[in-house]
Amino acid sequence: MLVDFELIERARSGDDGAFNQVVQAYRKRILGTIARLIGRPEDVEDVGQEVFLRLYFSLDQLRTSEVFEPWLYRLTVNAAYDYLRRQRRRQESRMSDLSEQQVMMADAAAGGKRNVEEKRRTDIRETVDALLGKISEEDRILLTLKEVEGLSLKELEKIYRVNENALKVRLFRARQRVLKAYEASEPQEGR
Amino acid sequence: MDRMKDRLDALWAEYREALPDPEPGPNFLPQLWQKIEARRVETTSVFRRLAQICVMATIALALVMSVVMVPRNNTDEVFYSGTYVDALAAEHSNDYVDVLAAADLR
Repeated sequence: MLVDFELIERARSGDDGAFNQVVQAYRKRILGTIARLIGRPEDVEDVGQEVFLRLYFSLDQLRTSEVFEPWLYRLTVNAAYDYLRRQRRRQESRMSDLSEQQVMMADAAAGGKRNVEEKRRTDIRETVDALLGKISEEDRILLTLKEVEGLSLKELEKIYRVNENALKVRLFRARQRVLKAYEASEPQEGR
Repeated sequence: MDRMKDRLDALWAEYREALPDPEPGPNFLPQLWQKIEARRVETTSVFRRLAQICVMATIALALVMSVVMVPRNNTDEVFYSGTYVDALAAEHSNDYVDVLAAADLR
């Protein structure tokens, strides 16, 4: 826990100052998770604000302060789902945006404007984003939480509200699907 | 297959490293509070609208009730326009005749 239970209790009882402190304590971590879940750095703050907005108006539904973190992660996952669904609807226009972006990035790379390390990071991000784009939003979010965020099965159980066995099955299937997508993408990317 | 699995595991770790937690912008909190305030106002205006709808519905119901009730009241007024004695007299007009007839017999 990044804050003590007493602060969460105060925020629950309507203390805006306490809520502000909770946001300040968690915002960086939540923004990082969102960045890795949605893969669009320019929209991370918007989605992050949506998460804390939902938190503000749903804090009174929180049973106890002990379950605050899984609750916050759950709100984060739901906001990421909603964002990804909206994105899918706007897929056509996004595709043209992306290609423009890629053209700009290629130009910048050709001009030697980026250093080698930055280029390596960008390549990894693009590879993983492309890979995650080939699986469903559910698989994408579950795998990111487990493999990238490093959440334990216990933590995931609280977030998804399912038992461990069901979660293991879901994870296994999601891993199989992403592995299949990875294998399929390998020859095209010349790996 | 295992080789691919290992490469994928390594890729997740590299991805985590390539995307560190971003620093929130200076406007993050002010914008968040603006959104909270906007939502509060929105919720309040929804309640206000509901209250307005309730008031309008009550007025409409009162009008309908008055339209329905007024003619019935008028009819009732006509029906009960006479005094209680008149009503009794109208009801027992034959009794009066009978009393008169009995008096005549004496």
